[in-house]
Amino acid sequence: MKVGLVSPYDFASPGGVTDHVRNLAKALTHIGHPTQIFAPSSRRHTDSDGTTFHRIGTPVAIPVNDSVARITLTFRIANQVQSIVQRERFDVLHFHEPLMPAKPMTLLRLSTTANVGTFHAFSRSNAGYYYGRPLLRPYLERLHRGIAVSEPARTFFSRYFPDFPLRIIPNGIDTSVYRPGLSPIRHLRDDKVNILFVGRLEKRKGLGDLLRAYELMRSRVTNARLIIVGDGPLRGSAESFISRHRLPDVVMAGFVPNFVLPRYYDSADIFCAPATGSESFGIVLLEAMACALPVVATEVPGYMSVLEPGKDSLTVRPKSWAELGAALVILARDPELRRRMGAAGNEKAQRYSWSSVASQVVEVYEEARVAARDLVESNVHNAV
Amino acid sequence: MREWQWRGFKVVQSIVERLPRAWAYALAVFAARFAWWFSPLARPRLEYNLKVACPDASPVEIRRLSWLNFRNHAKAYADLMMLPRTRVVEMRPLMHVEGWEHLEQARAIGKGVMVVSCHMGSYEVTAAIWSSTLAPVTFFAEELEPRPLFEWYRDTRARLGISVLALDLAGLRKVTHALRDNELVITAIDRDITGTGRVMPFFGRPAPIPTGPTALALRMGTPLLPVCVYRLPDDSYKVEGMPLIIAQRSGDDDADELRVTQQLLRQIEEFIRRHPEQWHVPHRIWEGGP
Repeated sequence: MKVGLVSPYDFASPGGVTDHVRNLAKALTHIGHPTQIFAPSSRRHTDSDGTTFHRIGTPVAIPVNDSVARITLTFRIANQVQSIVQRERFDVLHFHEPLMPAKPMTLLRLSTTANVGTFHAFSRSNAGYYYGRPLLRPYLERLHRGIAVSEPARTFFSRYFPDFPLRIIPNGIDTSVYRPGLSPIRHLRDDKVNILFVGRLEKRKGLGDLLRAYELMRSRVTNARLIIVGDGPLRGSAESFISRHRLPDVVMAGFVPNFVLPRYYDSADIFCAPATGSESFGIVLLEAMACALPVVATEVPGYMSVLEPGKDSLTVRPKSWAELGAALVILARDPELRRRMGAAGNEKAQRYSWSSVASQVVEVYEEARVAARDLVESNVHNAV
Repeated sequence: MREWQWRGFKVVQSIVERLPRAWAYALAVFAARFAWWFSPLARPRLEYNLKVACPDASPVEIRRLSWLNFRNHAKAYADLMMLPRTRVVEMRPLMHVEGWEHLEQARAIGKGVMVVSCHMGSYEVTAAIWSSTLAPVTFFAEELEPRPLFEWYRDTRARLGISVLALDLAGLRKVTHALRDNELVITAIDRDITGTGRVMPFFGRPAPIPTGPTALALRMGTPLLPVCVYRLPDDSYKVEGMPLIIAQRSGDDDADELRVTQQLLRQIEEFIRRHPEQWHVPHRIWEGGP
């Protein structure tokens, strides 16, 4: 089966959907389904891990959902898209965030094959979906099957489009890449307890709460170290907070490429995900668990669809930095608890391997192809 | 470096990392000109060292070499400042390797590789590419002053997969672990930073030279790979690997250390003779220098 994966987001910028598309392409190709990727990119040379990549459009940064989405807004890509679609003759086009302007919508409009959509987003509300329903519905009708990455993502979407069924297929994790026992970043492995944060430095990821929690816990656990991996608009204010409060042992690692990231997980003792909301899943949780790290996270719906508090994690209320600090102290002081939770997380992560996720996605592709064929036949029948 | 100098460095670094490579180099060369004119100690020391390394060079030639040296070193600093935004995939076409087979041969032994070199060229670029394609890389290097600068230096390399270990006992222990895991350890032996080196001839004059890498190689059976990294006129990088030196134990560890280190040193001298304009050590190496 020849598959085209369509992402609306800048492929050169790190992000959950981009990682998902990149890994799904690899997994599909691995099980015998040649896959190509369509996405905008801010760089001319984009690394797509060997998958054929079609750079369509230049992204612009749009503030969405307490974050910044780098998407292409021009609809003048139709000719380029049409020529590729006609030439490549895909069996399935798989759209990620299919109702996101402009590329997925343009491709969806021009597609003559089986269309599958995956919905990743979660939020309290979405004005675009609410007011745009009459405009978006014709596009939605072109999708033959739908997927949500978690129950919160499905609930969120169904609030606006209750008639469109979605099957839940979670994000995957490459357990051969993210695993315990890799070579650590050696200067970070000493007698300190390393707390790791991985994510874009933006408001919704809750780094501010983590910094306050770390300040609180340092008086009780003097041998703690905070490692912050990621870049983003809040980097300056995070650095200024660290400097003003004279927080010791904070490592601002910045953006870390994928080939080094697993080594950061393997250099840490605790993983902390303090998001304030709007997370539909949290791939970073799976990455941490696959590396046998215990997790301290906030109780946002997306995270709770992955975590089992008390077994693989300690969870606290969002934006409650005092609770976050207390949970970090508990884990930092108890190596046996860390080991037990890490082992439980590692066991769970195996269930999310990309091979298992990709085979579920292929099932949906088969269903979509049958549905597309039935639709064509019924249209012909009606015409006759 | 004082606190205000460190802050100044951070301001300049945050500007340089946003510049296109050519602009960053232009700025670096401009700064190098000032440093070359006004450095009270670095330039006399460098010129003294160059004179020892190139005894036949005239004063005019030494002056030219020292200027080129400052220029190349400033460009290496610009590379360092651009590291936070550098992507390995973009650096790969800039590296030309000669003697790759020696590195492969060393890796095949399975006891790690001790890459031995001198203070020349942009090692970060080579190390980052090796770290992404071969094996994790560790730098065994001096601890810079002030502490925030060293931490910045370390964290910046770490994001490219390079561990930076200080030349102390804890660092030594971790280097041993890295070699045991068949990783690459990069170190320089042209300057004795810790003051524990052994005196031996370097360019024909007695100088203290660190023997730690050889001692480790003797103890662990690790192959020693002399490597030289230098900048080409088009600002790409050339990496030259030389045939491996396998440290053999004869029963007298002291004599072995001395013998193998001298063998390495002859190779390092050869690198420096070929590229004196890139060997940047503005420090006292030999007794009697400024």
